[in-house]
Amino acid sequence: MSETQPVKILICAMGGEGGGVLMNWIVNAAWAKGYPVQATSVPGVAQRTGATTYYIEMLPEAIAPGAPEPIFALIPTAGEVDVLVATEAAEAARAAGNGLITPDRTHLIASTSRVLLMPEKMAMEDGRLDNDKLAAILDKSAQKSVLFDANQAAQEAGAIVNAVMLGAVAATGVIGIELDDFIAAIKQEGKAVSSNIAGLNKGFALAKGEAEEAPEADNVVSLSEQRAKNDFPENVQPILQHALRRLNNYQNTAYAENYLARLENFKDSDPELLVSVAKQLALRMSYEDIIRVAQVKVRAERFERIKGEAKAAPEDVLIVTDFFKPGIAEISDMLPTGLAKSLIAWGEKNGKMEFYGIGMEVKTTTITGFLKLWFLAKLKWWRPHSHRWQVEQANIDDWLDMVDSAATLNANFAAEIAELARLVKGYGSTHRRGLRNFSRIVEEYVRPVLTAGSVPSDATEKLRDIRDAATKDPEGSALGELLAKIGSPGTLAAE
Amino acid sequence: MERSFHKEIEQLRQGDNGKFQGEGILAVTKALLQSGVGYVGGYQGAPVSHLLDVLVQAKDLMGELGVHVEANSNEASAAAMLGASINYPIRGAVTWKSIVGTNVASDALSNLASPGVKGGAMIVSGEDTGEGASVIQERTHAFAMKSSMWLLDPRPNLQSMVDMVENGFQLSEVSNTPVILALRIRACHVQGDFTTKNNKKSPINTIDKLDDPAAFEYDRLAHPPATYAQEKKKVEERLPAAQKFIVDRELNEFFDGRFNNLGIILQGGLYNTLVNRLNILGLGDQLGNSDIPLMVLNVTHPLAPEQITDFCAGKDGVLVMEEGNPEFIEHQVHTLLRKADIQTKIFGKDVFPTSGEYNAEAVTNALVDFLGDVEPLAIDLEALRNKAAKLLNDKASGQEIMDIALPPRPPGFCTGCPERPVFTALKMLREEIGDIHVAADIGCHAFATYAPFSMGNSILGYGMGLASASAVGPMLKKRTISIMGDGGFWHNGLQTGVLSNLFNEGDGVLIIMQNGYASATGQQYIPSSTAGSDTTPMTSEIEQTLKALGVKWLRTVRTYGVSRMLETLREAMTTEQKGLKVIIADSECMLARQRRIKGENAEKLKRGAEVTIPRFGVDEEICTGDHSCIRLSGCPSLSIKDNSDPLRDEPVTQVIESCVGCGLCGEIAHAAQLCPSFYQAERVQNGGALTKMMAGVRSSVIGWLAGSERPQ
Repeated sequence: MSETQPVKILICAMGGEGGGVLMNWIVNAAWAKGYPVQATSVPGVAQRTGATTYYIEMLPEAIAPGAPEPIFALIPTAGEVDVLVATEAAEAARAAGNGLITPDRTHLIASTSRVLLMPEKMAMEDGRLDNDKLAAILDKSAQKSVLFDANQAAQEAGAIVNAVMLGAVAATGVIGIELDDFIAAIKQEGKAVSSNIAGLNKGFALAKGEAEEAPEADNVVSLSEQRAKNDFPENVQPILQHALRRLNNYQNTAYAENYLARLENFKDSDPELLVSVAKQLALRMSYEDIIRVAQVKVRAERFERIKGEAKAAPEDVLIVTDFFKPGIAEISDMLPTGLAKSLIAWGEKNGKMEFYGIGMEVKTTTITGFLKLWFLAKLKWWRPHSHRWQVEQANIDDWLDMVDSAATLNANFAAEIAELARLVKGYGSTHRRGLRNFSRIVEEYVRPVLTAGSVPSDATEKLRDIRDAATKDPEGSALGELLAKIGSPGTLAAE
Repeated sequence: MERSFHKEIEQLRQGDNGKFQGEGILAVTKALLQSGVGYVGGYQGAPVSHLLDVLVQAKDLMGELGVHVEANSNEASAAAMLGASINYPIRGAVTWKSIVGTNVASDALSNLASPGVKGGAMIVSGEDTGEGASVIQERTHAFAMKSSMWLLDPRPNLQSMVDMVENGFQLSEVSNTPVILALRIRACHVQGDFTTKNNKKSPINTIDKLDDPAAFEYDRLAHPPATYAQEKKKVEERLPAAQKFIVDRELNEFFDGRFNNLGIILQGGLYNTLVNRLNILGLGDQLGNSDIPLMVLNVTHPLAPEQITDFCAGKDGVLVMEEGNPEFIEHQVHTLLRKADIQTKIFGKDVFPTSGEYNAEAVTNALVDFLGDVEPLAIDLEALRNKAAKLLNDKASGQEIMDIALPPRPPGFCTGCPERPVFTALKMLREEIGDIHVAADIGCHAFATYAPFSMGNSILGYGMGLASASAVGPMLKKRTISIMGDGGFWHNGLQTGVLSNLFNEGDGVLIIMQNGYASATGQQYIPSSTAGSDTTPMTSEIEQTLKALGVKWLRTVRTYGVSRMLETLREAMTTEQKGLKVIIADSECMLARQRRIKGENAEKLKRGAEVTIPRFGVDEEICTGDHSCIRLSGCPSLSIKDNSDPLRDEPVTQVIESCVGCGLCGEIAHAAQLCPSFYQAERVQNGGALTKMMAGVRSSVIGWLAGSERPQ
């Protein structure tokens, strides 16, 4: 019976990444060397963005003509994979979970980049998988591993990720096929030869440790406000610097001063409470309105950034179109209180609050388009005269009072009330939904606790659960269920 | 078409002693030409699409060989094509996807199998079971048995599959019976090689035509009283002829092993998996030498009784390795042995899983259980169990280190897919008027059953969406919405759905996704395809067809116009007008469009013409991290990233590299009144002098004004 065992290679990829081409490169290179090889796949409809696998078995030595060829398996088996190539970190982890990467034999070549799964992206807050946990799984699973951001490498090389992975396979030297063999296979295939070879070389160099990944640039905040520095503790300084800069830009220096004044009450509080209030207060004070949107949209840096995204060369022309659809709420926001209230009343009576709006597509790279936004941005002086301003400032003060009175009872609970403000964000229906949830939680849970004058030991945890429930689904059904289950805090304390 | 087969066509031309290297299904295609087929037809579907795709593209070669090729409108029309072999000694082959295609074809197949064939007739069926399968899991075996057609299941290497095509035609001819070549998905996609032979011309072909049609023979009609005699012939003449040919030509293979008291009878398609497991367990090697004698059924129906009894006689135990449910072969083996009074113990579904793919784990467990029970010679069971345990242990430790819940990654709509916006509008409609019964269908649009849309109450078959809601509508206060692709419309939906609805004065809403191709299977042309040329369809227009059928309420809406689509849907759901309401959701398949545009743009750039490439972006500072846009879109190019704002924790939306600028993000921002963070950036290359001058003036004015808006 023959001694040399086949090398077994499993490629885990997603539809559209060229996993099949990667498989063919390896097969063609093996054929060129006279190695018996077999490869197969189950792409089907998975080729449309889904996870899919390609499986290769190969005898890493040429056999005499006419000699019997090995009989290769068509299905990968747990504990029997020599090389696992994964173009994405979660797919690599999936393979590890299925036992297809094992410490006794598997050489893992995986990209650390993520293509997020739908549930991760759909979550109303952060539903992403824990990267550290993914890394730990990959660390534990393989005999040897080469982990690098193949997606970034591909972008830098101007190639598709499959060529980069091929380079990394060559670098490991475990399948008896060299870099030059793969170059020949790419040339033989004859498609996008130069970019594929660039990707191949990049992957080879990265896997050999010859190229360094570019370190991420640090965002250094240099601005400082003397008063903030003198009066507030160290841990909150970075937030304050950022908040002051933001509010100054949003409105003016006086408004930024007002922020510090509002925060004054909390400067000697529990450090975590102070951080929560400082963050949320800055966000609430720079609430989203159409002026703020215009301010962001007309910045010079923005156009530079977009040019980069569109990969526009200096001689190319860039056209930017922005999409706005201010509804009744956004328009009434800007009016003086009296007018605004009549407009809102009309809108609510006629059911126009949810679905009525004026769709605008503004070509911001034309002079007229740009001026529309520029003038809007210049309107920030008017903000304090608007209905929205009155409402927001009153709401902020209410909320701060609530946090303040809670702080005398329990600092953690107070911080949780401060964090509750996270629900109020955005524009249009997102904003209305957030505000509705916020008010509901305040009325049904927070106020009863504060009125009772003592904070039950599990109240902080409960309030956090309630806030999480509010972001479970847009319909608010999880929130409704939880509030109903918890009942009023008074009755609970009595139980 | 999604793929060009230029290189593969060259391989199809190879003659004697050439070396074919490539995919299994293309090797089968080459084998058809080597066998001298006169005609080939079929309907696309994984894993056999390439067979037809390559022949459709190989017009010249088909012309030289006089082969008639049809891309049929469905599997029934493909199966009926085999009718040519009833009266004429012409070999023909048709292909389709597994049981679902056979179901559609079954009327013609039964009426073909009854009179039988003169010329070899072969159906190449792409079996789609196990991992990665996209359809219901049933066995083709049942069809072969009930219609008395022979079922070929060759070992999954190119040479065996190719040989079986040639043998299959001969088998078909000696027994006057159509044959089915069943190839599992991994066998269709397997890359390998085989030694080629010259292509053969059919004795009757499109060049060397017959002077006269076949003479009238009543016996060749599937019509009484001939059908009674035909049924008798199936059993008394064709079956024995087939069994004799199978034995004489040694279509089934026997491999000796030193444990003579044992045996394994297996379907040919499972051979590689079994050999691999025997090797790992120390009961064989990778060259196919086995300690246990093997009987490989390359023909799984009919069985040759004396082969079964000869193999089993004198053995203590025989394992029948038969994938799928029910276990037809195992039942037959039992019957044959009982009748021959052979007492060998038979193992099968008692040690194998009753359903699902026979993967390494299933086969390992079955072998251990089988060997543990028959107490064979000279096997150290303890050592065997230890070797088998490694696989299970590796699996278990994999599960152990997997300490996070990893959601599956099902397929979905491509970036910029024109079908996605329709479901965005449907999701918004649902928020307005409450839940709606959605009758889903087969096609890319079935991806809407996954998140973020999670829509669809039933899937009943290709083109059956509308028909499947016909008894639901009358029971519900709200109208139902049925989905159909243009592929499904022409395949079946036109008559099964639309005509039946009209004839029965049905109500309800039908959305037809008109993207111009059978997209899910590789963008094959369909009758309403415009073949890249302006707007003239190749054969028929859906809108005109519907009007001619008598549809009164008919709207054609560009899919990307979400607001307009929402309005149209709202109207269709609420109008007083009775009768079927059809919305044609019209926009070209984005995958096909991008492929086309890429070439066109490259050519334009070469000659210095203006090229505009759009993509979308998100202003991070404006995005509030609520991800409503993702819940309404689900586009692969729409993702999230860390918020660079130190005051915020929730990740913000981002548009990644792969964006093709379809415009849906802007439409959603408008239609659903989401945040104004989206923008479209168009890069204009080779802009004209005026464009450039205007851009220059604009950027200096804007630059000057924008300078004042720098954050301090």
